[in-house]
Amino acid sequence: MNLNLFKKTVSDRWRSTAVFGGGILAYVLMTTALYPTFRDISGIEELLDKYPKDFLRLFGVESFDITSFGNFVTAELLGLMWVIIVVAFVLGFARSVIAGEIHDGTMELLLSQPISRWSVVTSQALAIAAGIVTLVVVTVLGIVGFGAALGIEIFYRGFFAFIPVGICLLLAIAGYSLLFSTLLKDPRRVVMASAGLTLAFYMLHFAGAYWRVADRMDVFGIFHYYNPASVIDSGTVPVGSLLALLAFAAVGFTASLVVFRRRDVAP
Amino acid sequence: MEPVVKTEGLTKHYGKVVGVENLDLTVEEGEIFGFLGPNGAGKTTTLRLLMGMLRPTAGKAEVLGLDAWRQSVAVNAKVGYLPGDAALYDRLTGERHIEYIADFNGSGRELGMTLAERLELDVSRKVEGYSRGMKQKLALILALMKKPPLVILDEPSNGLDPLTQIELYEILGEFRRDGVTVLFSSHNLPEVERVSGRVGIIRKGTLVGTERIEDLRSKRLKNVEIIFPESVPELVRNIEGVSEVEVSGRRVQLKLKGDINPLIALLSGYRVTDFSVTHASLEDVFLEFYGRQERGAEPSEGGEAV
Repeated sequence: MNLNLFKKTVSDRWRSTAVFGGGILAYVLMTTALYPTFRDISGIEELLDKYPKDFLRLFGVESFDITSFGNFVTAELLGLMWVIIVVAFVLGFARSVIAGEIHDGTMELLLSQPISRWSVVTSQALAIAAGIVTLVVVTVLGIVGFGAALGIEIFYRGFFAFIPVGICLLLAIAGYSLLFSTLLKDPRRVVMASAGLTLAFYMLHFAGAYWRVADRMDVFGIFHYYNPASVIDSGTVPVGSLLALLAFAAVGFTASLVVFRRRDVAP
Repeated sequence: MEPVVKTEGLTKHYGKVVGVENLDLTVEEGEIFGFLGPNGAGKTTTLRLLMGMLRPTAGKAEVLGLDAWRQSVAVNAKVGYLPGDAALYDRLTGERHIEYIADFNGSGRELGMTLAERLELDVSRKVEGYSRGMKQKLALILALMKKPPLVILDEPSNGLDPLTQIELYEILGEFRRDGVTVLFSSHNLPEVERVSGRVGIIRKGTLVGTERIEDLRSKRLKNVEIIFPESVPELVRNIEGVSEVEVSGRRVQLKLKGDINPLIALLSGYRVTDFSVTHASLEDVFLEFYGRQERGAEPSEGGEAV
C-alpha cells in the first residue's frame, strides 16, 4: 500500500463522501422522525397483514412486525433506499479510480513513478474501503443519534451489529466493481456493469421468495447474506454471512490485482 | 559500456494493428537521442513499452539494464517520463503536483520549484485554470524534477511557446552535461536537429534508420548561390556533388550534396561578388529518406539510406 496515493485518493473523494454522508443523514432524520407517527397509527398491523407474504422481503424485512423501530428503519431505509444510495457511492468511487485514471490519462503519470501496480490497486481499494466505513458508521450513528433525540426506544446492540454487515456488503460490491474498473476501458461501462450485477443479485434474492430455482441460486448472490432486520432485532453479528461477503470482496480484489498487473495502460 | 536503452525485436500489436514491429534500438549513456517520425509511426508506443505501460507482444526492452516490463518499478525510480499529451489532476495546484510526485520519489521538490521558476510557471494556481502550454510546462517539470539518469520525453515541445522551447533546450543541454541521458520523440525536425546528437527514424512501427546529426547535416543538400563580377566559370559543374546548376548572367545557382570545401577551393581562384549557402530543410532529407524506403531501399545504421 502506498500512503501517498491512498491519501490523495481519499482527498479526491472527500467531497463526494461528504455529500453522500449528508444525504444519508438527511434521509435518516426524515425516516426516524416519521417513525413515532407510523407506530401510533391504529390498525397498521392489520393493514400490513393484507400484503403478500413475501413482498416485504423486497425491503429486507422478514417479519410483519414493522411497528418495531428496527423493522421500520430496515423497511424504510436499510432494506432498499440506503443500499441504492451507498451502492451509487461505491460505483462512483470505483469508476473514478483505475478505469477513471486510465481514461483521464493520469494513470500514465502515476505509473511512471516508483509504485507497483499491486500497490496502486491496493491503495485505491483501501481508499474505497475507508469511504465505505465512513458512510456505514455515519448511517448508524445518525439512526441511533436521531432516534435517541426523538425519544425512541433503541436496541443499540442491534444497530451496532449492523455496522460490520453493512461494511461487508459494500466491500463485496466494491470488490467486483474494482474488478470491472481494471477490466474495462470506459468508466461508464464500469458503472453499468457493476450496477447491472448488483441489480441481478438483488432480483435473484427477491425472486427466490417465489421461485425455487432462484432460491437455490440465491446463495451465489450477495443479498442472500444481507438481512439487516434480523441483525438489528437479534443484536448478533452473523459471522457466516460476513465471511461469505468478505469472500466476494476477496475474489473481486484478487482478480483486480491479477488483471491490472497484466493490463496495458494507455488512455 | 552498456547502452542505457536497448530493445531487441521489440514488437507490440494491438489486435491486428501493428504498434511497433521488430524494433532494435540502442541509446548510449549521456547522449540526447531524438526519436523522429510522423504521427502514428509508433513513437509513443515505443516509449510506453520502455516505461512498462504496455506489455510487449514479442521481443524485449531493457532500460538501464532492467527489464522494462518485469522490473518497471525499479525502472521508474531511475527514469523521468513525460507522457504524450500529458494528463494532470485538474483540481490540484501546480505546487501540489510537485509535492505529490516528490513524495513518491523521496526528493525533487526543490528542483521542481526551481524549474517552475525557470519556465515561468505559476504553480499556485489549480491546473483546471492552466492553458495547454502551462500544463505541458508542469508535466515537463514533473518528469525532470527528480533529475534521474534517464529522461524519456514524448513530444516535449508540444504546446510550448518559442521562448519556453529555448529554455527547455537549455535545460536538456545542462542535464546532458551532468551525464543525464535524454530520449525524446518528436515530429519536429528542426527541434531534433537542434537538440539531439543522434536520431532514430521510425515509420509504420519500424525503425528505418539511425543517424548522427552531424552525418545527417553533412549529407544534406545545400542551395548555393554565387555572383561573379564577370562570367561564370564552367569548372563549377565538375565539382563532386554539384547538381541542378542554373546560370543566369553572372549569377549561378546550384545544389551541393556533401563536402563544400572543394567548391570553396575552386572559388578561391576567382573574384566573387556574393556567395550564399542555405540548407535544404531537414524535412527534405526526411522525405528523401522515406522516399527511399518506399522504393525498397534497405534501412541502415550510419546513414547510407539518406
